[in-house]
Amino acid sequence: MGKRKTAVVCSTSPEEDAGRKQGSRSSSSKSFAAARKRTRGGSSQCGVGEISDKPPSRGAEAFARLSEDYCECLQDFPSTQGMQCSKGNELWVDKYKPSSPAQLAVHKKKVEEVKNWLRERLIASKEKFGNHVLLITGQAGVGKSAAVRVLAAHMGAELCEYSTPTPTLWHEHVHNINSGLSYRSKLDEFEAFVEKIGKYSLLSSSNAGASRKATIILIDDLPVTNGRVAFGRLKKCLTALTRFAQLPTVILVTEYHRTDNVPTSHFEELVSLLERAGAYKVAFNRLTVNSIKKVLSHICQEEKRELPSIQIDQIAKASCGDMRNAINSLQFWCLSPDNLLISYVSNSMDINSRVLSDSNKLSPIVGLFGHEELNCGTDFSYGRDETLTLFHALGKFLHNKREVMDQIGLELESLTLREKFERNPLKMDAPEKVLSQAYGKARPVTDFLHENVLDFISDGAIDDTWLVTSYLSDADCLLASSLLSHSSQKLTEMDDSQRVSQPVAASVAIRGVLFGNKQPLSSRWHAIRSPRLWQIEQSAQHHKNKLMVERFYFSNGFSLSLSQMVTDYMPSIKWLGSHTTDDNGHEKLIQCITTDLIPPADNFSSNTIESTFREKIEDDEIEDW
Amino acid sequence: MLWVDKYRPRILDKMIVHEEVAQNLKKLVSEQDCPHLLFYGPPGSGKKTLIMALLKEMFGPAAEKVKLEQKAWKIDAGTRTIELELAMLASTHHVELNPSDAGFQDRYIVQEIIKEMAKNRPIDSKGKKGFKVLVLNEVDKLSKEAQHSLRRTMEKYSASCRLILCCSSSSRVTEAVRSRCLNIRVNAPSAEEIVKVLEFIAKKESIQLPPEFAARIAVQSCRSLRRAILSFETCRVQQYPFVMNQAIPPMDWEQYVSEIASDIMKEQSPKRLFQVRGKIYELLVNCIPPEIILKVKLLSELLKKLDAELKHEVCHWAAYYEHRMRLGQKAIFHIEAFIAKFMSIYKEFLIATFG
Repeated sequence: MGKRKTAVVCSTSPEEDAGRKQGSRSSSSKSFAAARKRTRGGSSQCGVGEISDKPPSRGAEAFARLSEDYCECLQDFPSTQGMQCSKGNELWVDKYKPSSPAQLAVHKKKVEEVKNWLRERLIASKEKFGNHVLLITGQAGVGKSAAVRVLAAHMGAELCEYSTPTPTLWHEHVHNINSGLSYRSKLDEFEAFVEKIGKYSLLSSSNAGASRKATIILIDDLPVTNGRVAFGRLKKCLTALTRFAQLPTVILVTEYHRTDNVPTSHFEELVSLLERAGAYKVAFNRLTVNSIKKVLSHICQEEKRELPSIQIDQIAKASCGDMRNAINSLQFWCLSPDNLLISYVSNSMDINSRVLSDSNKLSPIVGLFGHEELNCGTDFSYGRDETLTLFHALGKFLHNKREVMDQIGLELESLTLREKFERNPLKMDAPEKVLSQAYGKARPVTDFLHENVLDFISDGAIDDTWLVTSYLSDADCLLASSLLSHSSQKLTEMDDSQRVSQPVAASVAIRGVLFGNKQPLSSRWHAIRSPRLWQIEQSAQHHKNKLMVERFYFSNGFSLSLSQMVTDYMPSIKWLGSHTTDDNGHEKLIQCITTDLIPPADNFSSNTIESTFREKIEDDEIEDW
Repeated sequence: MLWVDKYRPRILDKMIVHEEVAQNLKKLVSEQDCPHLLFYGPPGSGKKTLIMALLKEMFGPAAEKVKLEQKAWKIDAGTRTIELELAMLASTHHVELNPSDAGFQDRYIVQEIIKEMAKNRPIDSKGKKGFKVLVLNEVDKLSKEAQHSLRRTMEKYSASCRLILCCSSSSRVTEAVRSRCLNIRVNAPSAEEIVKVLEFIAKKESIQLPPEFAARIAVQSCRSLRRAILSFETCRVQQYPFVMNQAIPPMDWEQYVSEIASDIMKEQSPKRLFQVRGKIYELLVNCIPPEIILKVKLLSELLKKLDAELKHEVCHWAAYYEHRMRLGQKAIFHIEAFIAKFMSIYKEFLIATFG
């Protein structure tokens, strides 16, 4: 199709792709066609869902008519893409979509919360409610959209989804330009959509017939923005939406993992913005392993496949709280049931699990080792790699949780250490593994540890403090050796020893912190600060550059070294500057120097790193991991 | 203009301190053949003054007409080109620069500049090929590689250029470079010499300077002539005519360091260490070199208040972490480790003696 139309497809069934349930499909297509007809009339009263983005030119209208006919033709065909997969081996993710609120895997309270909100809005939609926007956040695959769809169906409300226009390809764009259509960015279209919602929502519901069902608008897909300006527009747009929306509107926002190379501050900014604008926020938590297991075993029953419970357990664990992923994994696992290998593996795992469960009862330590073995031994070929946020990982390192002593003394008899070297086993994976999960780089991790570790050392333990700081000092030396290659910005030239020194330094820093802090403070709430050092370095560099330039002018043609200047000249000049003199020559010189050289004190505080990191940290509580 | 600059002797004959050195230099230059020179001595002893006076002796007043050049260098280093910008002071006869400003790329700078200077060497009035002088400051901060390349280029281009190196400690200059230069040690001036200079300035400014007060300034200056003159000037601004017990304002950062030292002595805990860290950051922001904080000031402040039996150990650790600081990248890590170690030692000592 040459012409792309942004249309909102109305559907009562949870999915609008021409797929399965015949009844719902036909109804949805009807409403679709109805919507089209209205547009054809060229009236300015478009339905809620529609954004007519074309200028009222005749050619375009004719073209639109053509394309509509084409669409209708298409719909007379029994489903086009949906067909192939609907023959028996449909994806289980779609097949076992929750159909009632009870089936949702999300915590009941959260479901209830959403439900109440929707009910309030739907019943009392005539009355003035402060806000009509619900914001649902959560990780990918927790079932945000599923929950909204199910609840809407359950309450008999109609769900109108803003479907994002398909992105334009470049050659399409060229083609469009030739045919006289101007390009509109997705953001433009979204803006137009929001504007329409504000204006026409009431009209449409009165317009579309007397016994119209209540409507809920769902925005699942906010346009991607790039750059400050675009993001600013999106923000403005969303604020307007929350202010002026007259129908209950649900916005879904997927929560991403914060890693240091992905700028996801947008996500947080958006959420806080919407909240400030008056949207009601419901955060869906990560699914628990148990709830995933329940769903998985339910599916197994339905499919009449017998899977060892340990298997389901593992799939559930490997999915990291992502239901979609878990179901996909399950289907993948069940794809070839005759495969001998699988039964073998599951058998062995059965045994393994039995051993495990026995040993678990015996002592927690064996359980710990066994657990580790399990993790490395039967690595899945699927499932998501677990990721941690950097703050999460740092929290683990800093809190330094360890197993309780006593039993270990007997277990590790063969390995006797002197008392001062003895430490209880860690309550986490190997620190290097944790670090790799957080995608931590050596330098920032070391800096973060350095900044924060002092807060976690108990008050009298100055010896421990020294131990920790000396390890950090070692780590810094190791890092410095890889500095050269770094600053020449030729990573390919980095030779092996340097490549090794980075992770080694990180390891030294982390293990130093873990080992050195013998009696960590009992866990309590701590905010992790971003290293103040970064800010200090920046302003020191700034200051230094200034001095470098100035120092030659300083004493007419007599170059000074930086340290001389800073240690001898500057203090006296500052001092002279603070005491007014009767000597004119003095004053002039001092004034010109002091104004040029000494940066105002608040220069230091107004720093970019500071402000961006503050936000990140404030809401990052690491209480108990 | 500050007095330090105003009363800086411009020619070798007017040197008040290091007269002997100045006379020797004069003789050296008058014989026309000047070897490479290496000046070394503590800060504030007059190395640069000597060098400038020497240059004037060699080239006449033209050496004083310097201009600042911010020169961009493009250096071809095999696989890549390095682009650097370095400020330098240049007259027609000499170029002065701080190669260590270029950081770890200093070796390229050293080679490249000398090469370029050798290319276009000046011709003197008699048509004889003369030589240019390259003044390199802070040679002790050059990396080993740079010093090595310095050694080679010194030999290769010795016909067309002379090097004058300047550093505060010759121990960090490699033997090879040292042996190719005439080493000139510039001592820190004694208290009497400082007093002499101060009296000279007082006479020129027609100020009454009581000899006791001059002596006090001299003592407090730690034998740095620059420091002495600067604090003399601040005293003059602070109060004149001088009174006997007038306080000599200390350098603000030094005062700050001694505050840190007393903080450390008062309490030994992670919390205190954290506070101290904040104070050290303050110093670092103001570009006070970390070595100076640790070695020169903090250690001496701590030692002042310390029991004799601990001094040895504390010195050992200070040296250890100063070395670490050179190996490492971020000074604060090492300074902090030293402070933590000191706290640990000191606390142990306190518990042992007072229970």
